[in-house]
Amino acid sequence: MKDIEIRSERFQWIVILALLLASLPLILGYTLLILSSFSKEMVTNLDLTSFHFTLENWLYLLQGKLAITGGIRVDIWRIVFNTLLVALGVALVVTLVSTMAGYSLSRIDFKGRKHMMILLLILHAFPGVALIVGVYLLYLLTVPQGQGLDVLRLYSFFYVILARAALEIPMSVWLMKGFFDTVPWEFEWSGIIDGASRIEVWWKIMLPLVKPGILAVALFAFLAGWQDIIYVRTFLIDQTLATFIEANIEAEYSHMPLIAAAGTLYLLPTIVFFIVAQEILLQSYSGGIKG
Amino acid sequence: MGYKVPILRIAIWRGRMKALKGIVLIVTLLLGVLACGCIGGEKGTSQTQVSSEVQLTGNFTRDVVAIGRVLEENGIREVKFSVWGAGDPNSVMRVYGIVEAGRRINRIWEEKGINVRITTDVYYVSSFQNAYQEYLSKQPLGQAGDFFVNSYTYLPTLAEEGYILDITDYAQAYNNVIEDFYPSLLEASKYRGRLYGLPQDTEARPFYVRRDVARKIGLDVDTLPEKVKKGDFTWSDVYHWSKKAKESGATQWGLIHRKGSAHPDLIQFIYAFDGKLYNPQTGKLVVDVPAIYKWLYVEWKFARDGLLPKDIMSWDWAKQIHPTVVEGKTLFTIGGTWYWTEWQTKKYYRGRSLKPEEVKEWFGYTLFPAGERDKEPVTLSQPFIWMINSKAGEKNPKYQELKDVYHKLAFLMVVKASDPDINAIHSVISAHLPVRKEATKLIKDEKWLNDLKNLKVDLDERVKESIKDIVQVTVNPINAQFLADVSYMLEYTHLAPAHPKYPALADIFTEAVDKVLRGDMTPEEGVNYIVQKVKADPELARNVEIVGEVPKDWKFPE
Repeated sequence: MKDIEIRSERFQWIVILALLLASLPLILGYTLLILSSFSKEMVTNLDLTSFHFTLENWLYLLQGKLAITGGIRVDIWRIVFNTLLVALGVALVVTLVSTMAGYSLSRIDFKGRKHMMILLLILHAFPGVALIVGVYLLYLLTVPQGQGLDVLRLYSFFYVILARAALEIPMSVWLMKGFFDTVPWEFEWSGIIDGASRIEVWWKIMLPLVKPGILAVALFAFLAGWQDIIYVRTFLIDQTLATFIEANIEAEYSHMPLIAAAGTLYLLPTIVFFIVAQEILLQSYSGGIKG
Repeated sequence: MGYKVPILRIAIWRGRMKALKGIVLIVTLLLGVLACGCIGGEKGTSQTQVSSEVQLTGNFTRDVVAIGRVLEENGIREVKFSVWGAGDPNSVMRVYGIVEAGRRINRIWEEKGINVRITTDVYYVSSFQNAYQEYLSKQPLGQAGDFFVNSYTYLPTLAEEGYILDITDYAQAYNNVIEDFYPSLLEASKYRGRLYGLPQDTEARPFYVRRDVARKIGLDVDTLPEKVKKGDFTWSDVYHWSKKAKESGATQWGLIHRKGSAHPDLIQFIYAFDGKLYNPQTGKLVVDVPAIYKWLYVEWKFARDGLLPKDIMSWDWAKQIHPTVVEGKTLFTIGGTWYWTEWQTKKYYRGRSLKPEEVKEWFGYTLFPAGERDKEPVTLSQPFIWMINSKAGEKNPKYQELKDVYHKLAFLMVVKASDPDINAIHSVISAHLPVRKEATKLIKDEKWLNDLKNLKVDLDERVKESIKDIVQVTVNPINAQFLADVSYMLEYTHLAPAHPKYPALADIFTEAVDKVLRGDMTPEEGVNYIVQKVKADPELARNVEIVGEVPKDWKFPE
């Protein structure tokens, strides 16, 4: 008698084919986008007759030009930097808060713990757009007045990072709690018996054991910050790649292959991260670490 | 989930937690003090009495100098402004006009020994609807541009919300400049009788006729503008010639028109059939059933007879609409003046752009023909307006004390940006029509055109650098002549209603046209669809009057 279930190879092929078919529209969409970024005109047909190779879209984009003739020149690197700043900021805040909160919820039996956990779940159910009115009002109340453009600009970054991070934190806390739950208590006790404080135990013993979880949370938060458009568009003074693309997709005026190049640039970190961190993500989805 | 920790360790841990709490409390207090400093940190004003008022006299140099002196006395060395604009890549003077105005004011200050300078950031995007949405959300937060150039259709909402500056009083001192603007455009800059901006550009929507195709079927394009003007060439004639062009094999299509609702080109049909879109007495939009029925019928008939693509509303601009027109696959095209230079700067024709000579040789242009014999030809304009943020200058020091000075400076910048040469440069390179009579004269000046071609004009180096490639392609006598030729169309122009609910109605029109063209609805069903959609939206229903009935004995073509 076999102790594991082995499916027939034929059945496996059917599953793979079905998955491939299901993801085909997505794969095709991205392929056409990437091809268009290297073409003189948009590639919208599968026969590829409209594909005429050129690098000019990328050259124009990297020079910050928005049109073949005319238009204004933007500092595209500054825009990439802004996007990166928001993404890294969100990743940092989310990681910091969720590793601490996840640990507390996993290990400390404080008053209201259960309610807080339920509340976090409810909070996660709220989409960002539903909270925008409140978050907008809060910005109006807290924005520094009469401090000049530079202060306002910095504050807008600070606010967007915090607001966006707040949306990610509930899920991340749950994720981190799951990781901390899998670490045996004995590791922590032995640390405390050896004279370490609770903070030291958290920092020196627990965090290294939940590294995959931390990386997964940081990764999700980074991508959330990188992809965000609603909060960035509403509060940030400077442009990010998302708002830059949104403001310049005007089918009549824009040179669309150039916008396709901007779209591909915008996709790059997502693709790279998913390729690099595939294994970590799988671990995080299964909600634990290898024992 | 229980746990056991030795009691001694717990006590030590609690002690440490208390210490940590103390640190957190101190840090919170410090942050609070810091935040208070940031939020209310404007209190420390100087005790010395300095002027913070300027009266506008109408003498530009004197006013600018007076403002400069007040700013200098208040210790301001740099005034930072930002201008937000949107549109096609050839229309960048919408933002660079303000940059140039800043440079010209800086020059005056420099000559008078005033140590204050204006620096201007530009923000220019393709989508003007998107720019408007962004302005709406960011203006209350104090993040929007100090200047906002966009369609006049948005002006009523922005004025109503208090997001743009009422410049009526400032403008009184500058009547000599204001009077040089075309009156209909100034009207478009007003809301409830108050002036909220100055016109930046406008356009007409010529009805383009392909000359080589017309020759093949015996249509005389040279006399056509006059016939259209007199109402002798109507939409029935457009139909007959389109049919002839298609049946003779001279072209694939008889007519190509624009799509979407943001550019309200197709509502020209309503005006061409003597319909109304707005009732000034009630302030409501109008669904003029007879005119809309005739419009939809014409669309339906053209599409059923294969003279107009039935899926045109989903055609791609760069891959289908423009290439079809420039490659001569249609006899007639409903377009805009800006097409003229767009065809010269974008590669729509077999991988290249057209030369000015080709555009001139291939395309004739007339008004939008009258719907029927007894009706008038029309055209449509959508003026762009330079508006000033009601918080203009807020990002500069001492805003509360110097608010009025900053606002007046912003107004003077708009006045300067409306200088005839700046307006004329914009018109020539973007094929928009001038908004000032003086600019119209300049366009006809050959020497000035030559100087512009060689960039021997008084312009900021940054602006010159930005427009030099457009200038190279677009500045020539052919394009200037085109602008002169089409300027008469403004006498026949209509404006889309500047009503906050108009965009919603325009979207419904677009849906109905698409369904009628595709054959999913008859013209009558199309009209009913519009009426039902309007009635289904309570907000829209309150703002729209439905007038007239579907004409029973009407025939097209006549």
